[in-house]
Amino acid sequence: MSASQKKQKKAIESINSRLALVMKSGKYCLGYRQTLRTLRSGKSKLVIIASNTPPLRKSEIEYYAMLARIGVHHYTGTNIELGTACGKYFRVCTLSITDPGDSDILRNMAGSEAAAPQS
Amino acid sequence: MGKIMKSGKVVLLLGGRFAGRKAIVVKTYDDGTSEKPYGHALVVGIERYPRKVTKSMAKTKIAKRSKIKPFVKVMNYNHLFPTRYSVDVQFDKNLLNKDAIKDPIKKKKVKFSCRQRLEEKYKTGKSRWFFTRLRF
Repeated sequence: MSASQKKQKKAIESINSRLALVMKSGKYCLGYRQTLRTLRSGKSKLVIIASNTPPLRKSEIEYYAMLARIGVHHYTGTNIELGTACGKYFRVCTLSITDPGDSDILRNMAGSEAAAPQS
Repeated sequence: MGKIMKSGKVVLLLGGRFAGRKAIVVKTYDDGTSEKPYGHALVVGIERYPRKVTKSMAKTKIAKRSKIKPFVKVMNYNHLFPTRYSVDVQFDKNLLNKDAIKDPIKKKKVKFSCRQRLEEKYKTGKSRWFFTRLRF
């Protein structure tokens, strides 16, 4: 594999492992309705969107997150993969992390995504 | 990590008779009440936007075209879309409350007072975005 591909693969694995830790030790909300609810109340710390969410819904969630100044991470993978990464047997298009627990997902994602929500 | 729904915020109504209209959040009930166990807000919006006005029009014509018809409604958060805009209008707080909306006579009074405040704000020329119709 080329160098950039290797780097991407590593990045994906690290997100997955961090997500697994959040699932175990933290609090999260899976699904569009619940993420909107957490965004409105400001309880969310990070929002993760799958790559194949419809663009209108993606923009809507990004707008809400911009208003609430919450980071958004665009997961490189479809909702099926995001669901698997969460350890669930269903698809997950949007998920919101309200309490990261032992994971350092916020520090790593928020740093790289600080530019993204503003765009 | 801030709360989005605050009083003074402009929201779009997503459904119902007033879908697509802009409204100002007056009071929020984040955790709901016993009758409405969901997050909801009291909003004042514009039912009929003021018409376009140009400099060449007569004063009487301008006055007629600058009328605003408001509505007052209690809406579920899910049916509102918040925007980055906010409008600072002082509504009559003792008039404007949930019970006033239920009683038709009080509701008329409330709407009239809202109308006056909104028209005042419109005449100052600020918050122009709020008073223009959202085209979709």
